[in-house]
Amino acid sequence: MMKSKLFVSTLTSLLLACALPSLASARDLMVVGFGGGFQDNARKHLFQGYATEKGVKVTDDVYNGEMAKLYSMVKSGDITFDVIMVEAPEMVRACEDGVLEKLDWSLINKDKFIPGGSSTCGAGAVGWGVSLFYDQARTPQGPANYADLWNVQKFPGKRSLRSGAKMTMEIALMADGVAMADVYKVLATPEGQKRAFAKLDELKPHIVWWKSGAQPLQLVGSGEVAYAVGYVGRTIKATEGGAKYPVQWNTLLFSFDYWSVVRNSPNKAEAMKLVNFMTDEKPLMNLAQDWAVSPATASVANNPDVIKKNPGMVASHSKEGLFISTDFWVENGADLEAKFNAWVAK
Amino acid sequence: MMSRRNLLAAALIAPLLLLVLVSFIVPLGATLYRAVDDAEIPTILPQTTALLKQWDGKGLPSEQTYQSLIAELREAQEQQKAGPVLNRLNFEETGLRSMLLQGLRASSRFTGSTKEGLIALNPRWADPHFWGLVKRSTGPWTPLYFLRSVDLKLGPDGAVVPTAEEEAVFVKLFVRTFEISLVVTLICAVLAYPVAYTLSILPQVWTNIGIMLVLIPFWTSILVRTTAWFIILQREGPINALLVSLHLVDQPVTMIFTRFAVYLAMVHVLLPFAILPLYSVMKGIKPDYMRAAASLGAPGWRRFLRIYLPLTMPGVAAGALMVFMLSVGFYITPALVGGSGDQMISYFIAFFTNTSVNWGIAAALAALLMGMTGILVAIAWLLVPGFRAGGVRV
Repeated sequence: MMKSKLFVSTLTSLLLACALPSLASARDLMVVGFGGGFQDNARKHLFQGYATEKGVKVTDDVYNGEMAKLYSMVKSGDITFDVIMVEAPEMVRACEDGVLEKLDWSLINKDKFIPGGSSTCGAGAVGWGVSLFYDQARTPQGPANYADLWNVQKFPGKRSLRSGAKMTMEIALMADGVAMADVYKVLATPEGQKRAFAKLDELKPHIVWWKSGAQPLQLVGSGEVAYAVGYVGRTIKATEGGAKYPVQWNTLLFSFDYWSVVRNSPNKAEAMKLVNFMTDEKPLMNLAQDWAVSPATASVANNPDVIKKNPGMVASHSKEGLFISTDFWVENGADLEAKFNAWVAK
Repeated sequence: MMSRRNLLAAALIAPLLLLVLVSFIVPLGATLYRAVDDAEIPTILPQTTALLKQWDGKGLPSEQTYQSLIAELREAQEQQKAGPVLNRLNFEETGLRSMLLQGLRASSRFTGSTKEGLIALNPRWADPHFWGLVKRSTGPWTPLYFLRSVDLKLGPDGAVVPTAEEEAVFVKLFVRTFEISLVVTLICAVLAYPVAYTLSILPQVWTNIGIMLVLIPFWTSILVRTTAWFIILQREGPINALLVSLHLVDQPVTMIFTRFAVYLAMVHVLLPFAILPLYSVMKGIKPDYMRAAASLGAPGWRRFLRIYLPLTMPGVAAGALMVFMLSVGFYITPALVGGSGDQMISYFIAFFTNTSVNWGIAAALAALLMGMTGILVAIAWLLVPGFRAGGVRV
């Protein structure tokens, strides 16, 4: 008698424990991005803009681009993100892996984007880029290109690069004298990859790797490293705040981030509408007043006033920089990232 | 038949048992299972799996197998399920992902045989080795992840061979992990011993103050303590400023992002775990033994070596064991203050779990780390006297 009672109570508590996460689904619309100044301004103009207009509560959170959270969320069925900002190759892979929803183009206007700005699971959000920068207050005349960055005799001090194969491999090849136009042709061959790693070997003792976008600015600001490759938007913002970190556009590597909707999101339709709102001209024009945004929405990206006001728009510098190939990284990402990590750990 | 009393006892421990089961045994079992699980291809490509089971492995599979693979992959892609298959095969051998996707895109234009069309597209489709790989990946179990964790893989003929040199990294990392952990354990034991001894002989008031000084950093978040080291050790931090202003060095010394910084921060974090068990053992040792030894004429060093040290060994063993087991899993501290050559195996477990989303290899690495730590602790239990003297029951 007592035993069965115990069994029943145990079972009930177990069932309750299992049911709890689903009770939590009545929640606000959740947007997740990479943080920083962009997100602070996006919160004001895009997230809260939508909230005010539609009377829906929108909250936002930050991640560092690690996809595992998304995968385990979709696998366990406890979806706490609705809209997420993703880098292009990760978006394509996550779409293939079924952790992102196919976008509903009846809710999102497909024609407003620049070429390549819309994809099965992603709506073009904003362009971003990285470039070489240093503190002119400490180093009046630093490296002017990636070949210079490798010259430790002429330019002593530590360098900071983003931890990961993407962008680092391209930078190494450019430092080794590969022309910008040929970078991916070379990198697609095993010899090219060996060449990039060999070049990285030369600089390895002088590199400090960063993970989150705020780090390169902190490292340069504290004098820990002399030169860094960091996000252009944040560098420009720091310069506006009084620092002397001029962006060197000839060292630009750029790409676009996408807005995606997490698979099986309980707020799917609302999330699609939010994506449509965030890529509309009006809120983006408001955002452009406060932040050097480089949107994938054609009417804003090509607006002469926006271009004039935001000289830091990566799209305006696309001819000077290297477009980070989405196709290349979709195909080679997993493999090269693993090789890169093995190389770094040696 | 259980007595009423036993039933009551069972009911009282049931919540704890349930907690242990749900929060410890189930996840641990799931992790171990994931390290050998190979369900992607049989689940997503069932027909191809069945056809390959019939294939004798000689020559090339039938036209039907080629067609089935393409058809099932296309269906999976439409349902957004192709990813796991592509990742699984690409992990086995790089380039298979792009080869399959290329074949998939081109196959809609084929007019004749799928087999011939694919082979004309990429000669690798005519490589029996490729089909051997697919057949080998049809589950239900795979040794692949465990083999990779020790830098091995299955060759074309199914024999175990070492991985390519640029990918072989895990053995080195395991060695590094245990090396760092052993050094940290040793430093902690050597530093903790005199501290604990001093605490055990001080008057009570001073002991209380001393214990507080040990405990307050112990209660402080590990992240805060590690970040503090970062600030202290950095290029323009206080230590370098002092050294330069005293003209001891001309250029700031590089201290951050080095192995030295890792040892320093880890010892700082883990020292209380060595001090506290030692202190409790030392506190329980009666001074009579030492006095007896002295009255029998033993000099100070012999009293220490023959009486005091053996009596405190259980404390040393307990502290060392705790420090060692905690260091093996360290991740945050080396990631913050260490350089790229100071990362431990947990860094890679986190990388495969969070970034590259390859949970098979992450699970295999974690299981190996657990197994190896268990073996090392067992060896210590057999060889180090303090472990069996009653201090630690493993």
